[in-house]
Amino acid sequence: MSLKKTGPALRTAVLAVLGLIWLLPVYLLLVNAAKSPETFTTKESWVPTDFALFGNIAEALELSGLAESAASTLLYAVVAPAIAVLVGAAAGFAIVALRLRHGFAWFVAIFGGTVFPLQMILLPLFDAYSRTGLFDTQGGMIVVYTAISIPFSAFVMRNFFSGIAHNVFEAAVIDGASTWRIFARVYLPMASSALVAIFILQATFIWNDFLLGLVLSQSDTVRPIVTSLAGMQSTYGGAQMSTVLAGGLLVSLPTVVLFLFTQKFFARGLALGQY
Amino acid sequence: MTDKTLSPKALRQRDQYRWSALGFIAPGVLIVAVLLYLPLLWTTFLSLTEYNGLGDPEWTGLANYVEMFDDPGFIGSVLNTLLWVGGTLLVPVGIGLGVALLTWNLKGGTWLRLPFLIPYALSGIGVGVIWSFILSGDGALDQALAAFGIADTPRWLVDAPLNTVVMILATAWQGVGVNALLFTIGLQSIPREPLEAARMDGANGMRLFRSILWPMLRPLTAVVVGLSIVASLKTFDIVQGMTKGGPGRDSETLALTMYKETFVNSEYGLGSAIAVFLTVVTLIASILYLRQQLSSKHGV
Repeated sequence: MSLKKTGPALRTAVLAVLGLIWLLPVYLLLVNAAKSPETFTTKESWVPTDFALFGNIAEALELSGLAESAASTLLYAVVAPAIAVLVGAAAGFAIVALRLRHGFAWFVAIFGGTVFPLQMILLPLFDAYSRTGLFDTQGGMIVVYTAISIPFSAFVMRNFFSGIAHNVFEAAVIDGASTWRIFARVYLPMASSALVAIFILQATFIWNDFLLGLVLSQSDTVRPIVTSLAGMQSTYGGAQMSTVLAGGLLVSLPTVVLFLFTQKFFARGLALGQY
Repeated sequence: MTDKTLSPKALRQRDQYRWSALGFIAPGVLIVAVLLYLPLLWTTFLSLTEYNGLGDPEWTGLANYVEMFDDPGFIGSVLNTLLWVGGTLLVPVGIGLGVALLTWNLKGGTWLRLPFLIPYALSGIGVGVIWSFILSGDGALDQALAAFGIADTPRWLVDAPLNTVVMILATAWQGVGVNALLFTIGLQSIPREPLEAARMDGANGMRLFRSILWPMLRPLTAVVVGLSIVASLKTFDIVQGMTKGGPGRDSETLALTMYKETFVNSEYGLGSAIAVFLTVVTLIASILYLRQQLSSKHGV
């Protein structure tokens, strides 16, 4: 594969064809989610028949408590990353600006929380949640989502603050500002783009979570939306496929749209997290 | 900076900051310790016991680990997981690099990358819903193949190991975009001078790639590969959504086996042992990219 010799036209053509193939599942999802349960047939998937998308979405919201799940998940996906971003920024601030003793060890301790699989904490969390009354509560879900978002947040914020000259901190000290004030009024505002990047990445992650919702919740009002979608698929996947597809579309739309509109932040978050 | 160079006042102030620093780092450390490390230790302990949630865990030493390796279902799960690791390296990382190279410096490249990015933010379950529908018997794929005269198609989600392979391809459909995005960032950060110099010398295509691009992309590639390995080791959502590990246990991954033993069979000890095994494997794989991540950091 030649990069410069191969004409831009050929490269464009290859990408366009590959891109179209990539869009086929999206096309199939849209077309079939729009078919009313009466006209839907598993044998004719490629041809659009009618447009009952909104009816199907309304139906999907009724089935398996998707509407209640959506409200709760929105709450989790906003509150947990917001707390995690602040806690992570505070940790980064302590290590970089306040030059916490053994800062690197503390950093590794927090970041280490993200390197093992969730399977390692599921059972004790389930057990502890059941005993303490946190099982199947919105509070319990927010707590666990916050905890798993903190390591990445601390990681990115430490990297970000490392890029700020230390005399910014010293200048603020000379002005007589308290550490809290320096953090809230100087460092946080400077980091706003990084904070937003982490927030968006973590909100997407939480919205898409399946496993924690599966283990730590059971009622429609607490259960996160993706877990509800999975339940809907196994219950109604045979009889009401177009409704399930409409549910899938509904669940996927927020994160896909958020991602497409905030690609810049995403790329930035990923880059901050990985270099 | 030694203490002798500081005035008593500055020293006092520095101590004050150190105390304040502990206050700033405490929330993060406490939350992570209680919700992540404590459960981690408890799981490690449970893996050495017999326990079903009732009564107290009973110490059995390494019995769960012996039982685990004696179980053909577990070995199958390990092999499937390896297939996931290899497959997700080959397909999404490979195509991702290809898309990044093709769109690099190409007019309209941002738009041409868009179709690959659309599936990225989908949940594993969302991907599963779409692809289960496409791959079902006489579903969209079979209909398309029939149009080309191929009537005798395999049962995509039933025949093993084909079912794992098609689920890997569904994951690839989702993952190519983000890898392309990461490689694009890498390509854009390559300085112009060596590139221009190499082009002046007549390097093109494959030679340009091998002599300039690849060495410069290596650190990033290590990160992408590391992330891909770690993510594939944890594969759960899409398999649970599409086959539930079936038929039988044919498409189980380690994460799924752990879930089933623990939450379906109430074999808490055995489930914990599988979690520990998965963690050890993941940690070894993580070292590959953690070294990369931590070594390039500004030391603090």
